Amino acid sequence: MSAESTPLEGVSDAYSRFDEHRYSSLAKGVLGFALLAALPFLSKNTPLGGFLSVNVLVVTLVFAYTSQAWNIVSGFTGYFSFGHAAFFGLGAYIATKLVVAYSVNPWIGLLVAAVVAAVVGLVVGYLNFRYRLSGHYFALATFAFAMLLQVTFRNLGEFGGAVGIYRPFPRDYMTNPEYGLVAMQFRSPEPYYYVILAFLVIVTVAAWLIKNSQMGLYLFAIRENEDAAASIGISTYRYKMAATGISAFFTAWAGTFWAFYLELIRPETVFGLFKNVQILLPAVVGGLGTIAGSIVGAFVIFPLSEFLRLNFGDLAGADDIVYGLSLVLIALLLPNGVLSLPARIRSLLGGDDDED
Amino acid sequence: MLPLVTGSQILEPFRNFWTDLSALDPVLLQLAAFAVLLGGVYALAALGLTMIFGVMDVINFAHGMFLVVGMYTAWLVSSNLGFPDYVGLPIAIIAATALMFAVGWILSVLTIEPIIEAPEENQFIVTLGISFILLAALRLRFSTQSRQINLQFGELQIGGTFIPWAQLAAVGIAVAAIVAVYLFLQYTKRGRAIRATADNRDGAWYMGIDVPRVDHLTFGLGAALAGLAGASIALFSPFSPSAGDVYLVRAFIIVVLGGLGSFPGALVGGLVIGFIEVFGGYYLPGTFGDVVVFALFVGLLYVKPTGLFGTEAER
Repeated sequence: MSAESTPLEGVSDAYSRFDEHRYSSLAKGVLGFALLAALPFLSKNTPLGGFLSVNVLVVTLVFAYTSQAWNIVSGFTGYFSFGHAAFFGLGAYIATKLVVAYSVNPWIGLLVAAVVAAVVGLVVGYLNFRYRLSGHYFALATFAFAMLLQVTFRNLGEFGGAVGIYRPFPRDYMTNPEYGLVAMQFRSPEPYYYVILAFLVIVTVAAWLIKNSQMGLYLFAIRENEDAAASIGISTYRYKMAATGISAFFTAWAGTFWAFYLELIRPETVFGLFKNVQILLPAVVGGLGTIAGSIVGAFVIFPLSEFLRLNFGDLAGADDIVYGLSLVLIALLLPNGVLSLPARIRSLLGGDDDED
Repeated sequence: MLPLVTGSQILEPFRNFWTDLSALDPVLLQLAAFAVLLGGVYALAALGLTMIFGVMDVINFAHGMFLVVGMYTAWLVSSNLGFPDYVGLPIAIIAATALMFAVGWILSVLTIEPIIEAPEENQFIVTLGISFILLAALRLRFSTQSRQINLQFGELQIGGTFIPWAQLAAVGIAVAAIVAVYLFLQYTKRGRAIRATADNRDGAWYMGIDVPRVDHLTFGLGAALAGLAGASIALFSPFSPSAGDVYLVRAFIIVVLGGLGSFPGALVGGLVIGFIEVFGGYYLPGTFGDVVVFALFVGLLYVKPTGLFGTEAER
């Protein structure tokens, strides 16, 4: 570092002073979400709209949200769940079925589905942790559960079998049928965007609170060295279970939202292998265990792949190449995610910031 | 769900099966023949996966797509060479195997070796990424429509049982491949190096084995077995780029059933899944046989995660 300060260093100094302030993460969060809230306007009124339609933004936020929920168990504890589509699918199917069969409002359905998913999550977690599955076996077991639910729902005629269930109209479950917040259905994508943004705020605050609590400390201790954590008296089992339950609870919300955003849910789409990948990808791309990682990661992947899908629609599969390449390159070149990029660049430039 | 549990529906398949069994219905023999044929091919599909896992401790999510690439290679070669089938098909099968060996070796050098010591999620992610790229490439090149190698081999008839020649050939290839790999691992120097590495990676390093080279060879062989399996399956079954998922999931189940890294386990696991699928498809309503398969998968992971033939390894 040279003695005279360049403008760039001035900015960098100001930033690090801000970064050390005790409310900096709150300020960053508010700023970040304000930016997200402004995105639909930007996409409508600026050339940005060519890349980011509001529908793409909704999809991006759905998986930013789901990935944040996934992160609470897999990012924090290091137990790599490959079956969160199970909870996503339960959220979609239970809420939709309650509407179709009993005219239950989707918001109540969402809570019911979330509780059911949490219970299922606890059962799966109980089996996994009781039988001490970890590593490959844990991932395979969670994957197998999602597949089991997929083939089961395919065989349940009451749930539409392989055909799936179409989204009901508000008149099917409301006395005064009106599109709107109460019906969880809208005629344009913008309100959907703000609903999923609100979900994202909730799950992000929850994840932040967990990470900065004693529980978060224990979860990360489990990730680093579970035996050591257990040996100093942490009930690792209890904390893993709690994280699994919370994660499943929130994941189900996304499923319900998905069901009332899209036309049709099918076992293959909501429980499938690809859904598992979409759920975990943003967190992995952004940075495992970080709070901003899922959101940043989602904005790296989904706009790009949607852009390719829309502009090269006749080349079916161009967007899958983006998924594939980003998976391979991230894992090979940036194993700690996109969020680790600034620190890496700083250390490459010879700065004195230590990489964390 | 409810009528299924409460009603007699759930018992009916078993009653039907019992009736057929006590009457010694020839349909049982036919079903058993199909089950063995299917199981043999499944075992071949699972063999490469279990080998890669046993030696490198990597779960290869691209395995299903390796099979599909094998199918397309066999189809392209056999339909473009212009030889008669009895010359063209063996060439096509060998071409698929050789191509996948090379692909596996290259992928191992480029993508697997750099992260072999990294946490397992990185390996999942890399192999998943590879499978997406392969899937997209096949879709771009061949579209999503389903293809078929047009063969009329006819059927072999033993007693009242019909056995399609093509499937019998596929099972023959499977058995030959399993025997060949077994002999290779037992009696050649390289085979011993692979087994030593599977046994103890660090120990193998100390004994002067070039472990990365063993890894590349293993991944190449695993991919080659996938290519061979794909080419064999293409002999009797239509395929499309998305065919890989089914075989990937089947291979997972078989490998877990038989024990990760176990060869005889793959064979027995393949047969078990073949029987469940064929008999389940015949007696159970809908695709309920799949539910049985996955329930078995989940249950076995908990009760005996090391599988039927697995050793008590660290999990």
